[in-house]
Parts: sequence; structure tokens; C-alpha cells
Amino acid sequence: MSSLGNLIRNENMKIYRRPRTWLMVGFLVLALGLMSGLMKWDESRSSGGDWKAGLTQQNAHYQQQMADNKDLDSDYKEYLTKEIKINEYYLANDMNPHALSLWDYVNSSAALVMLITILTVIVAADMIAAEFTWGTIKLLLVGPASRSKIMLSKYISTMTFALLLLLLSFALAFGAGAVLQGFDGLSLPHLNVGADGVVHESSMVVNSLQKYGYAVISLLMYVTLAFMISAAFRSSSMAIAFSLLFMLVGNTVTMLLSGYEWSKYLLFANIDLTQYLPGNSPLRPEMTLGFSITMLVAYYVVFQLIAWTLFTKRDVAA
Amino acid sequence: MKEAVLQLRNVTKTIGRRTIVSDLSFDIPAGEVFGFLGPNGAGKTTTIRMIVGLISMTKGEITVKGVSVRKQFEQAMTHIGAIVENPEMYKFLSGYQNLVHFARRHSGVTKQRIDEVVQLLGLQNRIHEKVKRYSLGMRQRLGVAQAILHKPSVLILDEPTNGLDPAGIRELRDYLRKLTQEEGIAVIVSSHLLSEMELMCDRVAIIQGGKLIDVRSLQEAKNSMQTKIVVESSDIESAHRLLSGAFNHQGVTLVGDRIEITADRSLIPDIARLLVKAGLDVYGIHATQQSLEDQFLEITGGEMVV
Repeated sequence: MSSLGNLIRNENMKIYRRPRTWLMVGFLVLALGLMSGLMKWDESRSSGGDWKAGLTQQNAHYQQQMADNKDLDSDYKEYLTKEIKINEYYLANDMNPHALSLWDYVNSSAALVMLITILTVIVAADMIAAEFTWGTIKLLLVGPASRSKIMLSKYISTMTFALLLLLLSFALAFGAGAVLQGFDGLSLPHLNVGADGVVHESSMVVNSLQKYGYAVISLLMYVTLAFMISAAFRSSSMAIAFSLLFMLVGNTVTMLLSGYEWSKYLLFANIDLTQYLPGNSPLRPEMTLGFSITMLVAYYVVFQLIAWTLFTKRDVAA
Repeated sequence: MKEAVLQLRNVTKTIGRRTIVSDLSFDIPAGEVFGFLGPNGAGKTTTIRMIVGLISMTKGEITVKGVSVRKQFEQAMTHIGAIVENPEMYKFLSGYQNLVHFARRHSGVTKQRIDEVVQLLGLQNRIHEKVKRYSLGMRQRLGVAQAILHKPSVLILDEPTNGLDPAGIRELRDYLRKLTQEEGIAVIVSSHLLSEMELMCDRVAIIQGGKLIDVRSLQEAKNSMQTKIVVESSDIESAHRLLSGAFNHQGVTLVGDRIEITADRSLIPDIARLLVKAGLDVYGIHATQQSLEDQFLEITGGEMVV
């Protein structure tokens, strides 16, 4: 009987022995390099100028805004009050928030998780469908491993690939930041206003990991969706095309449909949890963080169930 | 009869209201090459795929060395090696990496065993090349290598000679013989090449419309004494008269300018002596075997195989 460990090693071999995979990794490295270079260039271009005057002006603008609109939404009002407090803290402690630190590179790289998601979706969509396209599915299934085990090994390998890309992206952004800005900013705090209305300093690492975390949740959902599509279609080009289509068009379509109440039940309405962060508003006012998490868990379970049923119950006839 | 390593009991497959395989039962003992014959769409491939679990059974039971394929799939598969149609390998991997891939699924396939199998199939010179550069014959050999890595008790080959040249077919056939004789493996082959099956198999099952029509031993047929003896002689009329008399007019017919006699082949020397004594010139006496194709057509009622 096959051990799960060996099956995962097989799947890994099939991922990393393909030149395509290294092309993807190269693409990600290139994107990170480009992003870091642009950030540095932008800083050198816009450096100078009095940041203290800028912050004071911004605060004045916020205060003006609150004074002018008495009927401002309370959430937004709270957000502005916090921003003002944080800006005052910067001024009082002589910290320039616009000076780049290596954490800015790491935080910006969190935006590249979208790219990692696309790359992993391509790998996931290919995971099962490609075996059918290559005709290797027959030899793969005729062995002392149940189909559930094979599917699990494929899913784990896909997720490991995503994890590797995430670690690579985090490490490279950190490295680029360290090279371009030095380690001076390493101990810089992240500022936020607590429930007590006082400014607190917290760890930048935690803040960066949080940024990654939100992006990873949508990565998990998109990749699992692609994996299900891979089990449904037995051609890898179809599976890749449909997965990317869902991913790229889903958000736009959901936006268009946000006028209807039922749109909150769509996957894409819930996939971005940053909509519940202060300063943002959810797609529909009645949506809560708990609701979205419940919906995501439900979608996740359904995707896995459909993929498992399609993969284990269907006859391999062709 | 040796112990059966593979047993099929009332195996049935229906899709919708169509019955593809109906109530199939037979046993295959160790060391036998067993062939599946049947017109296209008779259910050969479906049956083979049910044995290896690619297609689910609607009813019935298949056991390999007493282990049920349906209930203990993983365990049953440790005894099976298979090539289903043209063995498709991972083209971006080398031959060796492909073998490592398949070896990892089984416990106890060592590096030495992989090397041994590579040697056995004569792949050692190009085993580290990418499979996409292999010829069809080499891929076929790699397919066999993959199937025997874990020393299975049952080897299943679905259309193994598809796309092979005559030399490749012969090589495969010799190799299968060796496996059955030396390692006592039971081999199941399905093919539509009747002449090939005739050379390869000990027994064949003839399937038509999803039903088992007949299982016959080819070895028996070869040893069977009743054959058709064809006599070519100068004065065919008098030869016919002479032989009819000798055989009491039983089974002697004149076909064109030849005489056909259905009789024991041990009588051929007597026939020759009789004709020579009578002063007739004999141009030829030979026994003909009824080919598998003749038998097949007879049984399936003339429905031709592709």
C-alpha cells in the first residue's frame, strides 16, 4: 500500500520537474524586483519636502471634513479621528511615516499574493486534469493507493507550492527592503488606536503577516475552486481557462450584482475579508465578518466534497 | 488445475439501461497467459478496467489472490501490474524518474530492483533520457517495466501490441512467456489481433455482447488429434476412390483438385503408403490446423473483428 508521504513526493516531483514551474517562480521574482525598484525610484523622486507640514495639513483637512459634514457616518468619523491621533503621534515622536523602511517593501509584497494566487491556480487546475490529458491517469490510479489518497496528496502538494511561493515572496521583499533601506527600520512600530482611544505601538512583523493572512484566505478559496474544476474537467487547458476566468471576472460581476440582496451569498462577495477592516465598508451593509467566515467555510467544504465525489466516483473510460 | 490467482464472479456492468458486461465468471490460475477475444464493443476493455478498479462494477465480485478489488482495493492492487492501452508516461521526466514514481507507490521496491528491471528490459542505455525522446517500442518496454517492478502475481495488458512493429510484438511475446514460466505470473491480455493472441495465450475467453460465450484452451486445440489432412495427388479421382474405401467413406471429400480428410494426424504415414503402393504420384500431404480466427468466426457467427 502506498504511503501518503511517498505519493506527495511523487506529486512534488511532477510539479518541480516541469520547466513551467520554474518559469512561474522566475516571474514572481521578477515582479518582486520590479516592485522594489519602483518603490525606491519613487522615493528618490518625491523625497524632500516637509513631511511635518504635510501631516499637519492632512490633519487640518480631516478636521475640516468632520466639521463640515455633521451627518457623517459614525464609522468614518471614528476612522478619521484615529487617523488624526496617529498623525499627531508621528509629529510628537518625530517619526516620518513617509520614509520607506524595509517593512514597506514587505507590506507592498502582500499585494503580490494575488500573483501567487494566479500561479497556484494554474498549478491546481492542472493537477488532476493534466493526468487525463497526458493519459497517465490510468497508470496513476491502477496502483495500491485509493483515489482519495491520491487526491489528498495532490491537494497537499498544491498547497505546499503556494506556501513556498509565499515564503519566497516574503523573504525576497524583506531582503530587497534590507538591501535598499538597510536594517534601520527593522524595529519601527506599527501604530494603531486601541479601544481606549490611545495610540499604541505594535509589531510590524505581525502587521505584515496580517496583510499576508487576508490574502492567503482568498488564495486558499481560489485554489480550492481551481482544484475542483480540475477534477470536473478532464482537459487541463479547459480547467486552467475556467479557473482564471472565475477568478478574474468573479469580483467584477459580484460588484455589478451588489444591488441585489442575494449577492451576499456569492463566493466573491465574501472572499476579501479586508472589507471589514476599519476604513473599509463591506459589499452590503448587513454583512458581518462572522457571516463571511461562515460562507467561506461552507464554500470550502462544498468545493472539497464536489472535487472528491467527481474524482473518486467517476469511471475512467476514455 | 493450479490455484486461481484471479477470480471473477457474476461481474456485471450496466450504464443506464444498457448492459455492457453481463454476469461474467471465470478463474485464472498462476502461470497462465489468458486472452480476451471479442469484437469491438464486446466489453473486453470494460472488464479489464473493472479488474483494475478504473471502472466500478454494478454487481459481482473480483478477487486477486482472495482479496476483493471492491472492498480492499489498495491491498488487491499490490498484486496487480497493468498496462492499460499504450502506456502513457510522464514525458517531461526521464525513464528512470518515471520508474521511481511508480516504485514509490509500492512498499519494498528497492533501487536494486529498479536497476534489475531496467537491465531485464534492455533499457539501461537510455533510461536517463526524457521519455518524450523515446520511440513507441521503448515506451512500451518502460510500460512493462513499470508493471513488473513490484513483482505482481497478475499482469494485465490491455491492447499491448497496439502500435508496435512486428519485432516489438515478438519481443513482448517472448518476454511474457518468460515471466509466466519463470515467475509464475498470470497474464491477462486483451487484443483484437487474433494471430497474436494465438501465439501468446494458453487459454482464451471469447466475449460477445458483454457475455462470455466460450473459454477454450489453445494448447488442447494444438494437441488435439482430429485435424484436417489435405492430399494433393496426380490422379485425384482414383486417389479419392481409394481413400474413400480405406476410410469407409467417412470424412473424405474431394475439394477441387485436392482431397480433404478429417482424421487423426497419426494416419498420415498410412495414407502416404497407401497412395504410393497404388502407384499414384503424391505431391503433398499436410495437416492443417483450424486457426483461432476460424474458430472465432465460427463462434461469434461471422461478426468480424477489426
